[in-house]
Amino acid sequence: MTEVPVKEYTDPDAGDRWHRVHPVSPMVKGWIGIIAVIVIFGRGLFEDLLVDGRTPRIGPEGEFLPLWVLVVLVVVIALLFALSFFLSWYFTRYQVTNDHVRINSGVIFRQHRQARLDRVQAIDVVQPLLARLFSLAELKFEVADSGSSAVRLSYLKLSEAQLLRATILARAAGVKQDPEHPDEVAEAPEQSVLELPPRRIIGATLLSGTTIFVLVAVVALAVVALVLDEPLPLGAVLAGAVPFLFAMAAAYWATFSNSFNFRAAISPDGIRLRYGLLETRAQTVPPGRVQAVGIVQSPLWRFAGWYKMQVNVAGYGVDTQASGARTTLLPAGTSNEVMQMLALVLPDPGVDEPFEVFGAAISGQDQDCGFITTPRRGRILSLLSWRRNGFLATRTALICRSGWMWKQAQVVPHERTQSLALHQGPLTRRLGLADVVLHSTPGPVSAKIWHADLDTARRLFDEQAERAASARLISPPEHWLEQVDRGEEADHGKP
Amino acid sequence: MRSQAREPIDPANVEWTRVSDKLIMLRIIGWLIGFLIALAIFSIPLVLKLLGFWSELPAFIAWGLPAVVLIIGIWRLLLIPRQVRAIGYAERHEDLLIRQGLFFQRVMVVPYGRMQYVDISVGPIERAVGLASLKLHTASPTTNATLVGLPAAEAARLREQLSSLGEAKLAGL
Repeated sequence: MTEVPVKEYTDPDAGDRWHRVHPVSPMVKGWIGIIAVIVIFGRGLFEDLLVDGRTPRIGPEGEFLPLWVLVVLVVVIALLFALSFFLSWYFTRYQVTNDHVRINSGVIFRQHRQARLDRVQAIDVVQPLLARLFSLAELKFEVADSGSSAVRLSYLKLSEAQLLRATILARAAGVKQDPEHPDEVAEAPEQSVLELPPRRIIGATLLSGTTIFVLVAVVALAVVALVLDEPLPLGAVLAGAVPFLFAMAAAYWATFSNSFNFRAAISPDGIRLRYGLLETRAQTVPPGRVQAVGIVQSPLWRFAGWYKMQVNVAGYGVDTQASGARTTLLPAGTSNEVMQMLALVLPDPGVDEPFEVFGAAISGQDQDCGFITTPRRGRILSLLSWRRNGFLATRTALICRSGWMWKQAQVVPHERTQSLALHQGPLTRRLGLADVVLHSTPGPVSAKIWHADLDTARRLFDEQAERAASARLISPPEHWLEQVDRGEEADHGKP
Repeated sequence: MRSQAREPIDPANVEWTRVSDKLIMLRIIGWLIGFLIALAIFSIPLVLKLLGFWSELPAFIAWGLPAVVLIIGIWRLLLIPRQVRAIGYAERHEDLLIRQGLFFQRVMVVPYGRMQYVDISVGPIERAVGLASLKLHTASPTTNATLVGLPAAEAARLREQLSSLGEAKLAGL
């Protein structure tokens, strides 16, 4: 990604030792393979051995295989597994220097990878169920490349992984090391912000979009039954319903297990999120790495007054696994909790009465708190939501608001705006309206201002380009704890 | 290249630079290939009917399909020159503006400091007429900033210009 001066290659921070991951890790990673081999080959064998007391035949009518051949075979297979595990463990090494994290892996096809610490976008410590039994954890180091993780260290001892995370964050933040004890890194102190009780997670799961889907399906079935005016064949309905029920159960389970025990905390290293029932995950997103925040309220949540918050972080991209848990900032929170989380992401809201403004963003309508909405002539294009469609530019961020059934709001800090576009189709042209689209890094949040008045949209387009430009000039340095002068930083940031 | 007619969504005080008129030729060639293929495919029922293999097919469908293709094709052909003339760009102090589209218009602003890299691509037919396409990449995949039909020299100049401006104003993510 970035060119590094040549001297760094010849002198790779000599003195920093190379480390290996925990010896058990290939087994934790490869256990599914072992189980598969045992199940596929072992089952018939065991049945023959235990039930009939015989070894399998060679060919349909051939001789019985002698027992010792069988034992040798099993030992050889076990040795092969052990050897491949040992090799993959032996050839995987990592190193964390002052500026880089490096990882070498692969037995035949070697891979050497290094990532710059100051380019870190997020660090995750993940513990799948089996790793938890061994008290191991995987460390994921994300840079701005929305694909796979830049560096994945799997697996380390949990304490080691946490220490390594603290080290990486401290070095990335530009904290000076204590010259007396270069190896001692204190984990940055953190302050708990909120915890979601299990009640909330269960309630949010039951009232989630999956439930709406189930309700729609049931209503559709009832309508069909009514129209046909005869009882539906029960067998056919059940046969169709079983896979559907499985899918629904899986969706409910994913939502529930991924937001279970959700806790958020703040530390000088950034926002910390922890969650998970079977697989636990601890995410750290350093300051200034959140590119955009989205707040959504699905129709059923309106009764409970809950909101879901999602973020765009360059290293996460669009998270398709685990129902987007990694990009979720708050699985289900009250409006107060939304405000708390917003305060973490956007420490300076840029308005004098943030509670009123963001309250208007997530649940208000019309021009309250200075929002500029779709003019009355545009209501034909958005019958339900024209009173909500709108935006407000604070000194530090642009707030976009839309949706009536699914209430949505997006907050994009000015210095994170990538580019802007103004769209106008035949209908909007006739009505003198235009859409403004803000482009952000890949992620679940996409900010769009629907059906704004044309002149307003053009003014916003110009002003926003200007605001983004001036906000970039004063945006804080990438080493977030180090006060560097801008000249040096500009040098540093050159590709 | 002269500037073009102002559209309602254009920002104020912007002089658009148009792309080369040769792009019209290029687009027409592309259109012709697509049109002939579509026409051939949608004429198959008619041919079958005329040859007597599928005589029960109603005549209005047999004749209607190629006719619809013909009408849509000619409609699109007539639009091509205006669509090409609608493509424009403007280099401003801090950012590059790109506009395109006739019915669905789009004006986009890409700050120089946000550009990650600039691509130039040249296809075989483009090379024959001396054109090139330029694509700007930011950290956002939705920034779909492509300028097609630039004269090769202008594309090279623009790339150098954008790269040096991008380097001078580069901001983090």
